[in-house]
Amino acid sequence: MTQSVSTVRSVLLTHRLLVRQLLTPGRLLALLSLGAVVVLAAVGVAASDEVEDPARTIIEVMDGLGLVLVVPVVSLVFASASLGDLREDGTLVYLWLRPMDRLSVVAGAYLAALTVSLPLTTLPLAAAALVGKATVDGVIATVVAASFGVLAYSAAFVLLGLMIRNPIIWGLAYVLVWEGIFARFSEPVGNAAVRGYTRSLLANLSDVGLGPAAEANTSTAVLVCVFVAAGSLAMAAVRLNRLEVD
Amino acid sequence: MSNVSPPPPPPPPPLPGTRISSPTPSEPLIGAEDLSAWPGTGPVMVEAIGVTKSFGDVVAVSDVTFQIGSGVTAILGPNGAGKSTLFRMLCGLTQPSSGTVTMLGRNAGADREVRGRIGLAPQQDALFDRLSAGAFVALAAQTHGVVRAESRTREVLAQVELDVDDPKPVGSFSKGMRQRVKLAAALVNDPDVLVLDEPLTGLDPIQRQRMIALFGELAERGKCLLVSSHVLDEVARLGSNVLVLAQGRLAAAGDYRSLRDLMDDRPHRVRVGTDRPQQLAAALIERGSARGVTVLADAVIVDIDDIDGFGRIIAPLTVDLGLRLDELVPLDDDLESVFRYLVERRR
Repeated sequence: MTQSVSTVRSVLLTHRLLVRQLLTPGRLLALLSLGAVVVLAAVGVAASDEVEDPARTIIEVMDGLGLVLVVPVVSLVFASASLGDLREDGTLVYLWLRPMDRLSVVAGAYLAALTVSLPLTTLPLAAAALVGKATVDGVIATVVAASFGVLAYSAAFVLLGLMIRNPIIWGLAYVLVWEGIFARFSEPVGNAAVRGYTRSLLANLSDVGLGPAAEANTSTAVLVCVFVAAGSLAMAAVRLNRLEVD
Repeated sequence: MSNVSPPPPPPPPPLPGTRISSPTPSEPLIGAEDLSAWPGTGPVMVEAIGVTKSFGDVVAVSDVTFQIGSGVTAILGPNGAGKSTLFRMLCGLTQPSSGTVTMLGRNAGADREVRGRIGLAPQQDALFDRLSAGAFVALAAQTHGVVRAESRTREVLAQVELDVDDPKPVGSFSKGMRQRVKLAAALVNDPDVLVLDEPLTGLDPIQRQRMIALFGELAERGKCLLVSSHVLDEVARLGSNVLVLAQGRLAAAGDYRSLRDLMDDRPHRVRVGTDRPQQLAAALIERGSARGVTVLADAVIVDIDDIDGFGRIIAPLTVDLGLRLDELVPLDDDLESVFRYLVERRR
């Protein structure tokens, strides 16, 4: 009557379920509004007579608003909810007590978060970069930096959702205080934060200097983002296996 | 009000057919005997040995030991007795603080193959509320690797009398319908062990009857069903082996008939309505028909050991005394009273 559930099948089943669970009208509206703020800022940059170098200024806006706010917050909301919500509301048991390996469930959750978060971050930021008169390299840099940011943050926040209750509060504290303030002005902190590497990608690919804590080379920045993602997912799988499920 | 109480009676004899053991010989369980081997005909399918689960200072389950084979076994206990915690441990959803639990010989939480042979209907009401019943059960089938998941989904939803084509999300379902969705999801992989936490809650009497019949059919096919309940009547209809859990401990075990005997054999309390309670109370004590009496204005509360015997003598007695017998009401003929009795006996 039953046969083993392959890893790919487990990932796809989890992904399909969780995309559906994550996409609520409230979340979509709130996070689209966040993207709209960046677009409005870009409109301001484009319309202002006081801006001498719009191509540079818009990259700074992408850094200051896009990479500080939009990318981590959108990732946080969806990734922490992907398994965290199920844990909170008691439905995790319907994935947990199944003949599926834990890593495939975590991978499915991660992909579900990416499926939702990537378009909700890269599209508004790309639109804002275009509106703000960024160069082609600037637009590409924005999209690439945002994408790698989503890849890293989402994995970390899938883990966070399995580690603690109320992950949004703690995640916001980390994103806004630690990464938003300390990582921007301190090189050592920047090196220990995802934001330092997304900024480096933005700076390197757009050829716009963004100051300290944005000086990793492109390969390093990519590798660190991938490493953070892989490490977080592996830890999330271990955590899921040891979780006390309601 | 006055009260007369002779010394308490000795504890009741052990229940026949018991398969539990006490790890603390100085404090024997009611109905306990040594557990050396599973006395049933089939293999042991679920086993708990010295299982304790604590949450901080709160001990939810304490030193529970049992073995269960195929058939229906009811875990009976009042709310908060530790039934759900025990089920969660059996399924591997939480690890015991001490002791071991195995399902089909292994730790369910750590063993993929065993997880595929378990069906769990948890007590909590949580479902994926945006899915239809069909989608929810189909998901359960797919995540269990059920071959021909669609037809199996249709089949189990029909068993619980739900329409697979109903597009309404389960979030809009009544409690009884949600309960049936959970049951269908638990059944969909044709599990060897079914763990059903209060599965009849919210069902109407006809649905309950059908579910109980279904459980019986599954048991006849060699499945092991663990069904928790806090309602004695449900357990009676399950016709099952019973483990009684009270305050986290295994208070009694055996078949339902044994439990019923225990209920009948334990001290009882009856309210006897009469126009002359003082006279009736004195007569009951004089004749040794009561362990104790409490006299009220229009009734006597009588503590007795033999409820059937008392039922036979009370009417002739009131006739002999020329009293009016207004009412005869058992005050403790419910499961809570049995639990209370068992727990008090353990102290």
